[in-house]
Amino acid sequence: MLRLLDISKTYSLKAVLRGVYLELKDGEAFVLFGPNGAGKSTLLKIAAGLMSPNTGRVELTTDSHSHSSIFYIGHKNGLYNELTVLENIRFFQDITGSRNSNTILREILMEFGLWQRRNDPVKQLSQGMKRRLSLMKGFISGADLLLLDEPFSGLDIRWKEIILERLRGLKKQGVSLLMVTHLIKEGLSIADRIGLLENGILRLQCKTEEITEEEIKEILRGGVCR
Amino acid sequence: MGFVGNTFAIVKKDLLLELRAKEAISIMVFLSLLLLVVFNLSVEIDTENVSRLAPGILWVVFAFSGILGMGRTSLSERDDEAYLNIYFSSVNMESFYLAKVISNLLFLLLMEMFTIVSFVILFDYERLIFALAPLSLPLLLGSFGFSVVGTLFSFLSTGSRFGEIILPFLFLPVVVPILLGGVSSTDIILNGSGGDSPAKWLKILLVFDLLYFCISLILFRYIIEE
Amino acid sequence: MKKDRITKILLVLVLLMLPVNFYLIFQVAPTERIMGDVQRIFYLHVSLAISAYIGFGVLFVSSIMFLIKKNLYWDTLAYSAGEVGLMFSTLVLITGSFWARPVWNVWWTWDPRLVTMLILWFIYIGYFMLRKSISERLKKARYSAIIGILGFLDVPVVRLATKWWRSIHPRLSKEGGGLDPLMIKVMLFSLLTFVVFTIVIIIFRFRVAWAEERLYSILNEMEEYHE
Repeated sequence: MLRLLDISKTYSLKAVLRGVYLELKDGEAFVLFGPNGAGKSTLLKIAAGLMSPNTGRVELTTDSHSHSSIFYIGHKNGLYNELTVLENIRFFQDITGSRNSNTILREILMEFGLWQRRNDPVKQLSQGMKRRLSLMKGFISGADLLLLDEPFSGLDIRWKEIILERLRGLKKQGVSLLMVTHLIKEGLSIADRIGLLENGILRLQCKTEEITEEEIKEILRGGVCR
Repeated sequence: MGFVGNTFAIVKKDLLLELRAKEAISIMVFLSLLLLVVFNLSVEIDTENVSRLAPGILWVVFAFSGILGMGRTSLSERDDEAYLNIYFSSVNMESFYLAKVISNLLFLLLMEMFTIVSFVILFDYERLIFALAPLSLPLLLGSFGFSVVGTLFSFLSTGSRFGEIILPFLFLPVVVPILLGGVSSTDIILNGSGGDSPAKWLKILLVFDLLYFCISLILFRYIIEE
Repeated sequence: MKKDRITKILLVLVLLMLPVNFYLIFQVAPTERIMGDVQRIFYLHVSLAISAYIGFGVLFVSSIMFLIKKNLYWDTLAYSAGEVGLMFSTLVLITGSFWARPVWNVWWTWDPRLVTMLILWFIYIGYFMLRKSISERLKKARYSAIIGILGFLDVPVVRLATKWWRSIHPRLSKEGGGLDPLMIKVMLFSLLTFVVFTIVIIIFRFRVAWAEERLYSILNEMEEYHE
């Protein structure tokens, strides 16, 4: 699905990523952990093709070669603040060509707690609502690969569960996931494999079964490698 | 959806966004009004010289108000990184560029109509209204050229650290042929200027438009993607 | 290193040509009947203009090459040539002004060629302003390549537009028509000298700039393997 080969990236003189190899198989969920400034977001942007690495390359193998097969949600929500919730969604459907029926749309809007506010401009929504709307775009985009950067930011425990449930559903449909988060429990609950990025180096890569939440916390706290 | 459908969807979104926010239009309209007032206070304009000064004043106002307004419309895509939706959709970048050129052209024409009406009222120069039919061609060609260059450069400048500040420095020298063509053809239409025909100036505008449109269509993708 | 030898030959050549060129301009070329000695600026003025265009031309081509190859080598060549072009165009504008003062009794004349050069000067000032305002290296290269391409394409259009525009406005003066055969020879030698001169400067500027770029990437690698 996605292969990152020997990715290095520097900003002026600061090395952000140093020779990262990462492979994501079809329908796999990979979650990246790491302290702030480890280069997680940069790696995600490079995977999305939004940034080019100084060395190394990104290989993407999907059925179609268009961008529409991947979807990226960064720190920003990618919403038009002056437009209403429905207008944002409609525009998104127009350009992605994903014609979900009105009932499905209504269902997902209800599930995400946005149905009541569907005709309000996005700028009037709370941070959590904006984040949910942003994630919703990813869920209806029909992409084969979702790249999510801190998807749970601004969401409380209830919404986290609902989003996780959705993500599990997508995984069952064969969608691949590459996710960056600092929430270890939530990350582990969805991941097939996890990676630990520290100082631009992928220190650890393993299956979810092989590691526990405590161990990850311990590594992140002490910076000790196994 | 094909090329035309995608382009239309983005134009529709831009118009809706402008209808809600009224940011670009209000910036352009108020700046052009302000500039006209400043011109009137700093240059002595009377019924004798108004027809000689009108072409220059009008096109300077079009250029300055236009470029500020166009900077605003690209900010609305950059603000929340909303343009990423388009990047990760099936829309190709040529279609995206064309759509932005069209919506910017519409805003420019609206601003120009407003400026012309204000000019007629402020300077008591009714001749301008009656000359609107022959003036429509230079206005259309000139505004299209402004939009072609302005759309590309506004995406450039909003992606840099200086932001919109740098926009006039890039925009104004490049559109000098449009300013010369616009001012000269307007002058010939309003004042006759020795039986000269505006045809050759329209040709320059046309050549500029075609050249810059084709090249910008190719170059636009390099602003958005790697 | 074959390249090195060519550069050295060019350098020696230009060091020999420059004094000869000045000797020809100030001693050999006949004094113009009406304008007098001031006319000698003309040889420099025109040569500088050609040099400026060479600089901007190289910038244009390397900008296209960068967008195709995505190699910073081309971007480095682009801005090196751009700096040289900007320096020469500044000198063109200054010598143009020196020339206009005694000949037409004005400090500045809106001659189409001079106006085109002035517009270009502004465009490339914008080019370097844009470079300064972007810190990410590859983005800087991509964005400025776009200005490098669109800016140079403006030359013929601006030139044509300013020419027509001048034809409506009263003309200050016409360029001198018949040049003395010796004057033409001096002119040609001066042009040749400056073409070589420009190429040499661009090569040297590029080598310094490229060394800087490589130094940065080596420093990056050192940082990488520091731990």
